[in-house]
This record gives sequence, structure tokens and C-alpha cells, in this order.
Amino acid sequence: MALPLKAKHVSETEDFESSRHIVKFTVFKGSDQNHAQKAQLASFEEALLPHLDAAHNLARWLLRNEQDAQDVVQEAYLRAFKSFGGFHGSNGRAWLLTIVRNTSYTLLKKNRAVDLTTTFDEQIHAIGHESVSPAAILEHAEDAELIRKAMDELPAEFREILTLRHQEGLSYKEIGEIVKIPAGTVMSRLARARAKLKEYLTTCISQEK
Amino acid sequence: MNCQEITNLMDGYLDGELDPITSQKIEQHLRDCHRCEEAYEAHTALTHAISRGAPYYKAPTELRQRIQSSLRDTVGVKASRSAARENHALLTSPRAERRLVLPEIPWNWLALAAAIILAAIVASSFIARLRPSASDQFLATQLIASHVRSLMADHLTDVASSDQHTVKPWLDTKLDFAPPVVDLSSEGFPLIGGRLDYLDNRPVAALVYGRRKHFINLFVWPAASNESKAPKTISREGYQLLNWADSDFNYWAVSDVNVNDLQTFKQQFETRTSHR
Repeated sequence: MALPLKAKHVSETEDFESSRHIVKFTVFKGSDQNHAQKAQLASFEEALLPHLDAAHNLARWLLRNEQDAQDVVQEAYLRAFKSFGGFHGSNGRAWLLTIVRNTSYTLLKKNRAVDLTTTFDEQIHAIGHESVSPAAILEHAEDAELIRKAMDELPAEFREILTLRHQEGLSYKEIGEIVKIPAGTVMSRLARARAKLKEYLTTCISQEK
Repeated sequence: MNCQEITNLMDGYLDGELDPITSQKIEQHLRDCHRCEEAYEAHTALTHAISRGAPYYKAPTELRQRIQSSLRDTVGVKASRSAARENHALLTSPRAERRLVLPEIPWNWLALAAAIILAAIVASSFIARLRPSASDQFLATQLIASHVRSLMADHLTDVASSDQHTVKPWLDTKLDFAPPVVDLSSEGFPLIGGRLDYLDNRPVAALVYGRRKHFINLFVWPAASNESKAPKTISREGYQLLNWADSDFNYWAVSDVNVNDLQTFKQQFETRTSHR
């Protein structure tokens, strides 16, 4: 099925490439190599440190562990700095998140291969949907702890897509580029992720009754 | 559109990611179909709840500090190790280094450090010392002054265009020679524009290129027949100057980018102009 997605996705881009402001005229008498590296580092930090929270948040959701998340983010920043010279795009946040994601998966695959294939246990949770009203779901959805637990139950591919869409507000096109799937697949995966989350909330609510 | 199709497209619709025609069809259906409308409202409520309810894990302050200090370590260690060698290489032989730094090397500090060390070894063992002559030094002063002035006075370009077919004719009409103009965007050096300048007692063409946030001024004028063809680099006050000549023109590239970027720029420029 050809999905009727927007031909052109409007995306928020942090355009730091095209601005041509001359930032500084400091004359360095010392090593020029050193100067060049420092200048490179300064422009790297200016471009990518503002996205540290986004990077940490994605890693935290993917790894479900604070220490791992911090290690991955640090590693991702070092990787990003090494390939910064080859980065000519305009969307620094999406570029960084791609690296954070790849680094996270490397760790996930290494440490907990099981996580990637963990799927929501439908047998346990597929009971008693119909009796729960949208209002009840909504009421419980205000409960951050419950949402967190529900999201943590989902497989990694659902956790990341919910984070990218709901917390970073990225467009389908941007998400597709980060996760390396077509925009149409972004939509269907997001739909499945939301459905799973709803299932989990519904189950929790009906168990409370 | 039937209810099943609506269900399939619901997420794209509420995320505002569908094309306008499909969105309109869905809107129409939701007005007519109560069941779908209810489902839509519930789904919207759920997505809003996820957005509001899911905790956002902000990075702790110490992580920022950790990252910054590890980045500084990377730069600091490599810089101090390679800086001395590089200075040595620049003083002894710019020529040797030019040959060794290939244009296709990715921005990789290891490759860079290796190239510099190799250049230093080759330079110190084989090549006689070449120092820039007094006249070059004087010209270098003029070139740096012109480069800095072009950035300071908001007079970077007389003709601002990334299109070589705009910049070249403009320069041709203003000068008594026709300098080569190529856009090197695909090589990472986008053409920004052109300017007239006065150097070495003659009007010259200044082509302006970008390199990330930096600028490169490429000064071009006809080569004098007795001029030496050997490429030269001069490094001064944080600026890099690179001089070369072909059969028709004399080139001076001036910038605050590092010497390897400038060498890459020269090679790309030569490659592209040799196919004119």
C-alpha cells in the first residue's frame, strides 16, 4: 500500500552551517594545529552540546539503566567528534541521535541480546480491554510512573520511536532517517507502539479494579 | 474511505503527517462516523498522555562535564604530541608535506597525526631547508591584511554567488585577465562569491570559499614567466597561506583553516581547473 504521507515534511532543523557570522579574530601565536583542533572542538560543542539532554534521554530509554546511558552518551559524543569533519548536514540533533542510537544498540546487542527480541507478552495482557474507558486510561496516563513502567516493558524499537516522536517531536522523515526505515513504516510502527502501550495501561487499570 | 482504512491511517492523521487530500477525507469520515470519531478522540487523548506523562531524562550536570573533559583530552593529547613535529615540518619543507597529505583522507586525527609524523621524518632526513623569501614574506603580510579586511569590513564579496557562471563573467569584465572559477561545494568548499582586490601592485581576483564556518580567500593573478613554480606554504599569526602556480596563473590561498584543509582545497581546485 502506498501511504499517503506528506510529500515534504517540515522539520525543525538547527541550521548552523549556513550562517556566516565571523565569530572571532583571536590571533593564536602558538601551534596552528592546536588552534585548528581547538576551533574544531569549539564549533563541535556549540553545535552538539545543546542536544545533550536529547541524547541522554534516548540512551536512557533504550538502555533502561542510568550508568549505561551515560557511558553510551559519552562514547557517542567522542564518536561524533571524530566524524564531525564529515558532517555537512543541517540537523545536528538528528545526526547526534543517530550516533547515540547506534552506540546504544551496540551495547544492547553485546550485553543483553535478549532485550531486542523481548516482546510484550500478549497472553498476560490481552484481557479486559473493553471495560476500560478512554477517560480512565487518560487519567492513569497522567501517572508518570505508570507510563514509565509501561514504556520500559516495550521492546527497544517501540521505546525509541515513542521517545523520538513524543519527547523530541521529530517528524516521520527525521525518525525514519535515524531508525533507518521508510516514513510509512514509522507510521505503522508508531501505531503498534501506541497500541501496545495502551494495552499495558488497560491491563494495569483493569487489574486495579 | 472505510473504517478499516481510517484505523490504519489514524496515527499519521493525528501526527499531522498525511497529505492534505487524505487528511481531508479522514476529517470528512470522522464527521460522519461516530465510532471512528470516538476512537480518534481516545487515541488523541492517549498520545497526549504519552507526551505529557513519559518522564524526560535530562542529562545530569556531571555528564556534561565528563564529556567536555574527555573531548578536551582527545584534542589536548594529540595536539601536544603532533604540534612540535608539525612546526618542524612546516619550517623545513612545505613541499614534502603537500605530497603526503592526500585529499581523500577523512577527518581523522590519527591519519592526520600519521601524515604529519611521516612528513616530519621525510622532511628532516632528505630535504634542504627552504624558507620563504623576503618578498614572499612581504606579500604574505599584504595577503593576510587583505584576508582579514575582507572579513572585518563586511566586504567579503563584490559578487555573492555560489554559481561559478555568475562569478566568472563578473570578474572577467572587471579585470584584464580571466581567472578560473570553480564551485567546490561537493568537495566541502562551497563557492561564496568573488571580489576585486589590489595586491603586489596590481588588481587581482579574490575568490571566496567557505570551509565549515571558516573562509578561504583565493587570490588569483596572471603568473609572471620568471616566477618559481614550486608551491609554498607560510604559516603566520594563526593564518595559513598556500601559494602555487600553473601555466597561466599565480594562486595564493589564505585562511585560518588548518594547513591540511588548505592543501586539500588546493588539490581539489587544481583537479577541477585542469579539466577546464
